[in-house]
Amino acid sequence: MTLASTAATGALSGQSQLVIENVFKQFGEGPGAVTAVDHVSFDVKPGEFVSVIGPSGCGKSTLFNIIGGLLDEYSGNVMIERERIAGPHKAVGMVFQEESTFPWRNVVENVAFPLELQGVNKSERLDRAHHFIDLVGLKGFEKLMPSALSGGMRQRVSIARTLVSGPQILLMDEPFAALDEQTRLLLGDKITQIQQDLNQTTLLITHNLTEAVQLSDRIVVMTYRPGKVKRIVNIDLPRPRTSDVVSSDAFGHYVAEIWADLREEASRGMADSESARRASSRG
Amino acid sequence: MAATGQVKNPTATMGFAGRRVSDTRSTNLIRIMLLLVIAGGWEALSRSGLLFRDVVPSIFSIWASMWKLLGTPAFYVNLQVTAWEIFASLAIGAGLGVAVGIVLGANRFLGAAFEPYVYYLAPTPRIIFFPVMIMWFGVGVASKIALGALSCFFTVALSTAGGMREVDKVLIRVGRSFRATPWQMATKIYLPAMRAPVLNGIRLGFGTATVTALLAETKLSNQGLGFMIMQIYSRFDMPSLYGLLIIVFILAGIGNLILGKVTGTSA
Repeated sequence: MTLASTAATGALSGQSQLVIENVFKQFGEGPGAVTAVDHVSFDVKPGEFVSVIGPSGCGKSTLFNIIGGLLDEYSGNVMIERERIAGPHKAVGMVFQEESTFPWRNVVENVAFPLELQGVNKSERLDRAHHFIDLVGLKGFEKLMPSALSGGMRQRVSIARTLVSGPQILLMDEPFAALDEQTRLLLGDKITQIQQDLNQTTLLITHNLTEAVQLSDRIVVMTYRPGKVKRIVNIDLPRPRTSDVVSSDAFGHYVAEIWADLREEASRGMADSESARRASSRG
Repeated sequence: MAATGQVKNPTATMGFAGRRVSDTRSTNLIRIMLLLVIAGGWEALSRSGLLFRDVVPSIFSIWASMWKLLGTPAFYVNLQVTAWEIFASLAIGAGLGVAVGIVLGANRFLGAAFEPYVYYLAPTPRIIFFPVMIMWFGVGVASKIALGALSCFFTVALSTAGGMREVDKVLIRVGRSFRATPWQMATKIYLPAMRAPVLNGIRLGFGTATVTALLAETKLSNQGLGFMIMQIYSRFDMPSLYGLLIIVFILAGIGNLILGKVTGTSA
């Protein structure tokens, strides 16, 4: 896909690059079936940063796998450039929640992995890998193995590895979930900066409210099981942003507003898991 | 899992390494002392005349026959035969084991169907199949190779299947998300991720193949170190027998050490 074709189809579809349309996914069958994602629709425009937020068990990760093309059996449509995706789409780059660096490859080799799959020659591979290693702030760590890095650094390696493949849409599933709050805020800065530098279209799945408000242009709030779209909130905080934004009044206002919605869903989720625990301890 | 990223404190690391060196020194000392105590006890027993002289020969006569053995061409001919048996049975058994292990590990249905057989057959004594192997392959080298291959096949197949299943699922999802071809998935994700369990299985397989080859040679054969042991035994040449046993021990140890170094798995 070239920029020109992106612009052309963008114009036709009202600038939408990624469209999620009535996506529905149910696990199991009969009375025991669980609806994970219930007719979810939203879109992500070129250059936009959208977050999907919801309590644990709202089907966020299922949605992530569907959009990434790793989960094929669902109804509704995930469209990229007005075409329904079939399997992992080349325009989408995924960053996973779990530790996903290859432990047998050093930092450069990890980052260059997608280029290796594409058959890019070695010198260009290294050039491009170095560029993105620099971008995520890991210059000087190129030759280290993942085991010698901290969790936050490893997650940055994963992000660089996905960026090096040049995705039109960056799709991330709670990439900072395992990190402490300070690292999370600083990495958020890094992500904001990268997104602004590259004008990177990004869809972030998260359960962290401050993270979502800090990074996003729009936030899709999901309900607890079944996962529906409860509300879509526009975040009109100025760009370029840094983590300083978390101390502003407007930021606090957004957090409070979304939390009101989220609290209701989260407490439903908590009640649900408590009753399930009670039932299992009785049985 | 968030490992905290601390820069290693250099003095702490050095202190640790220092302790490790002195640890190695004292364990080495204990090991050598143990050998000396055993040798001394043996020699004392031998000289006490409490036991039949030929059953417990003097350390010095064992030592002398050991050197004499190492000077006979027959020893090297037999060594070559046994080494070839072990090598060939490991190559065949491990090759088949890796192939079958991959199939069982990759295919949940086949794994569930056939792995119990492999699992329960693995610890059975394969030597009981030796008569069958003799009928099929004769008393020569071939029957030992067949039995050795059969022995190490199970170990390697099980550890390969296990290693295949334990490949981190997220790494497979990473490969899929980058749209890796099946060949790229195999060579760039599965194989490197399975390296440790497979190599460890091959190392264990080497042990099994060695045991089986020697055991089979002592049962029925016309060459090999096991055959040589039985020949010496039939002459009731106890010093040479003990000497040969020590040599076989040392050789097996060296073989294991080399394999450990080659495969990068320690101890």
